[in-house]
Amino acid sequence: MKIKESLFTRRRFLNALLGGWFASLLAVFVYPIVKFVFPPYSEPDRVDLPLAEYSDMSPNTVRNFPWGNKPGILKKNDDGTLSAFVAVCTHLDCNVTYLPDQRKFFCACHDGWYDEKGLNIGGPPPRPLRSLQVFITEDKIEILKSGEGSNEKTL
Amino acid sequence: MKKPYEWFEERFGITAIMSFLTNKTIPQHKHTVWYYTGSAILLFFVIQMITGFMLIFYYKPTLELANASVLRIMNDVPLGWVIRSVHSWSASFMIALVIIHLMSIWILKSYTRPRELTWMSGVFLLFVSLFFGFTGYLLPWDDLSLSATKVGTDIPRSIPIIGKWATIFLRGGEDVTGDTLTRFFGFHVCILPVFAFLLLAFHVYLIQKHGISEPLKQENQKTKLKGLPFWPNFIFRESIIWLFLIGVLLTIAIFLPPHLGHQADLMAPAPEGIKPEWYFLFLFQLLKIFPAKILFFTGDTLAVFFIMGLAALFFFLPLIDNKPLEQKGKAVTVSAYVFLLFVAIMTVWSLL
Repeated sequence: MKIKESLFTRRRFLNALLGGWFASLLAVFVYPIVKFVFPPYSEPDRVDLPLAEYSDMSPNTVRNFPWGNKPGILKKNDDGTLSAFVAVCTHLDCNVTYLPDQRKFFCACHDGWYDEKGLNIGGPPPRPLRSLQVFITEDKIEILKSGEGSNEKTL
Repeated sequence: MKKPYEWFEERFGITAIMSFLTNKTIPQHKHTVWYYTGSAILLFFVIQMITGFMLIFYYKPTLELANASVLRIMNDVPLGWVIRSVHSWSASFMIALVIIHLMSIWILKSYTRPRELTWMSGVFLLFVSLFFGFTGYLLPWDDLSLSATKVGTDIPRSIPIIGKWATIFLRGGEDVTGDTLTRFFGFHVCILPVFAFLLLAFHVYLIQKHGISEPLKQENQKTKLKGLPFWPNFIFRESIIWLFLIGVLLTIAIFLPPHLGHQADLMAPAPEGIKPEWYFLFLFQLLKIFPAKILFFTGDTLAVFFIMGLAALFFFLPLIDNKPLEQKGKAVTVSAYVFLLFVAIMTVWSLL
């Protein structure tokens, strides 16, 4: 039934109302399911390493450390400074390794290459390795999420 | 013994079902052989179910225990290595048959009206099978399977907006961790089987509803082909093929059991020479050869779009090929061979 002033019939109005009601009911059930399947996550802002364990590194060598769930790489440069990277390939997330004799980081998954500063130089990686900031205090190495500025500090 | 049968017959009606199967006929022509691929897939699906149930009795889906429990299945559980080997090889056989089944339908154009939905549900079943394979690959939790999963779950990230969420959904977090393993186990033994069953029921229902397709020319001429009764003739012939396939499967499974690597270490670099399962090799090679940057896009984004485009074309094939006997239809048939050639070249290239 449709009265003259109306834009649509009464049936259409009621169907839309009922449909809308069903859709909101569905949303009430879907929302908690979606919330449930995405776990909370935060990457660490800072990781502290005991200085004593890392002070014996010789130049052009690396040590791994856990950066949250990802591997981090601490690298001693030739001038004695330390650099830190998230050792995860920027192509498709594989863990990279450092090849000291070639002075390059290498990802075995799809043949990706980075130079010793973490710059992508060969293969599919689209971006440089993520670098982290390194600060040395009396007894520890502080590794911080990189903002602006240098990622190298003198030991 | 007659009494129980009659009691059951009165309530269930086996005779009606048997007479339906006797009267159902399979068309006979020079392409009949391809019909057998469908039921052979079913054989391997059942083998996967049975061996899967057995493996769950010993498998432990956690970070600490997964690799050790598979090692135990291989070394200590009586015949455990055979069961795991059959499960692993049967998966490959099943996926190979799904691909052959779909390609035969592409080339014979059995997907034309009114069988478009049958094709689409079949393509969905292929995707489900591939996802079965992908999730199952992680479960032994060794160094190779970890790297393959890191790559595989990172691929959707290139899709704008939803990509990041898809990756987190698959991994159960930003990174591949023990949570990913447990989640993949859930997909593999619980969620995917339910989907596979529903899709399979839908697929078989549609085949029953529309009847088995006959080659296009015959169907157009409305000539009735000589039929082979489904029961017992077709089933008996089928059984011969099933027994043969089981023989091949067991022989390969016993002589070439799957490898089990060292327990996965989340912090270790990716091992050299990582390779996914053979059915993902062409995608693996594709991701490898796309350069880091093409114009303004990153290579992997373009590669992902390319793969998604191919998948969409494949899925909508019956809607694209809606004039099968004309010029366009011929082009679609040629494209089937081109696609096969492309996949073959990429696969061989990845092995070099």
